[in-house]
Amino acid sequence: MSNAMAEPDMKADEIGRISARSAVVAGAPRITIRDLDFFYGDNRALKSISLDLPEKQVTGMIGPSGCGKSTLLRVLNRMYDLYPGQRAVGQVMMDGSNIIEPGLDLNQLRSKIGMVFQKPTPFPMSIYENIAFGVRLHEKLSKSQMDERVEWALSRSALWEEAKDRLKASAMGLSGGQQQRLCIARTIAVRPEVILFDEPTSALDPISTLKIEELIDELKQDFTIAIVTHNMQQAARCADQVAFFYLGELVEVGQAAQIFTAPKQRRTQEYITGRFG
Amino acid sequence: MSGAEHIVKSFEAELKKLVDLLVQMGGMVESQLVLATTAVVDRDSRAATQAVEGDPQVDAMESTIEQHCIRMLALRQPMAVDLRLIVSALKTATDMERIGDYAANVAKRSVVLAQFSLPFSLSGIGSMARQVQINLKLTVDAISESDAEKAITVWRTDQAIDDLYNTIFRELITYMMEDPRNITPCTHLLFIAKNLERIGDHCTNIAETVHFAVRGENIQDARPKSDNSPYAVVRPRES
Repeated sequence: MSNAMAEPDMKADEIGRISARSAVVAGAPRITIRDLDFFYGDNRALKSISLDLPEKQVTGMIGPSGCGKSTLLRVLNRMYDLYPGQRAVGQVMMDGSNIIEPGLDLNQLRSKIGMVFQKPTPFPMSIYENIAFGVRLHEKLSKSQMDERVEWALSRSALWEEAKDRLKASAMGLSGGQQQRLCIARTIAVRPEVILFDEPTSALDPISTLKIEELIDELKQDFTIAIVTHNMQQAARCADQVAFFYLGELVEVGQAAQIFTAPKQRRTQEYITGRFG
Repeated sequence: MSGAEHIVKSFEAELKKLVDLLVQMGGMVESQLVLATTAVVDRDSRAATQAVEGDPQVDAMESTIEQHCIRMLALRQPMAVDLRLIVSALKTATDMERIGDYAANVAKRSVVLAQFSLPFSLSGIGSMARQVQINLKLTVDAISESDAEKAITVWRTDQAIDDLYNTIFRELITYMMEDPRNITPCTHLLFIAKNLERIGDHCTNIAETVHFAVRGENIQDARPKSDNSPYAVVRPRES
């Protein structure tokens, strides 16, 4: 039973099949990615990725730095459009349309697919305005409707109790963990269907981290979630489905319990057990 | 890549130490079993004493392994093959501790047995004990070499032990029917055979555990089982 001897059986022909077999977790896919390539100039950062994001489930994306997991998130809400020389090729299907096609209404896309970043990014305005700001871009609401929306978003992000008496105060006065929950509130306030988390807790203390994880667990009742994390335990705690990326390839995808107890691919095992490279 | 080592060398060393401890514990119960067998077959009371005296050390080793595992679970948050190894080690240590207990029990009964002169041979028990010894050794080898194939061999061979047990069971009942003076030694021999059979079962448990630790999946076939003694009936001849 020594560690060196024990390794999953890796069959070369299995690798290709793995990506096409991504829907191992029950639940209809909300986003279906097929043969997705991504280029930074000439550099092919994603190589023929095929992956499903099952509806109302959490998909964890893990892998070493530069493996393409954050790039994939950036593709999902077209962040790369802001940079010349970056392009995506393939299919990312949501509601019957390919969201990487040019000509798509980006504002509408981003209201359906929200994103929360590594560092909390509150706007330098009041807590209330941080949330109302995005909502106003998409909807015309009366004052009372907006009040209701703000309260709903703050409650769903577990921030209402702490923030209800200081809605007019600057968001910059909140703690790091509170700011991150505010960013989540801001994201869900426009009622997206998918939320992308890019290392949402890497700048937070352990307790704030657990609060965000608990929040993700609650949010998946209503939203489809993808989370990129460097913290393996976090992926194990949060995710229903886990995808392991390496050098731009999707090496393995499976239920979290399977990936962390008996991964099928040797590279997955070496990465999650800390035997890499 | 197959021999890839942990980036954290101290973790690698702790895992290696865990396997070493298991193999060491395996060696301890192996020699307990050899001593117990000698005690029965050769009527060697010194061997019996040694087998019984080995028990506290085996118990202590079980607790050492448990503490080592719990410490690693808490401090290393192991995943995948490492997690499987540690959880398997906990189960294996429990099985080995039971093996030690059964061996000690065999040894204790040998002392009573030695007080009787037996009108029949102990070759049946002797060959059963040898088969169990072979299986136990193979089990410890499977652990030390992370060898799932050896584990499968152990798992399959247990059937032979069960067959021997059934034969001995019937044989002993026959001796008891022939002469009531045989009842006391034969009852002890029945328990001895039962203990050996149980040791075989614990080897099978460990084999299943090793297979899971190495391959990440359970052995697929149904467990071969042929202990028919619960249904055995030996009727006296009508005279």
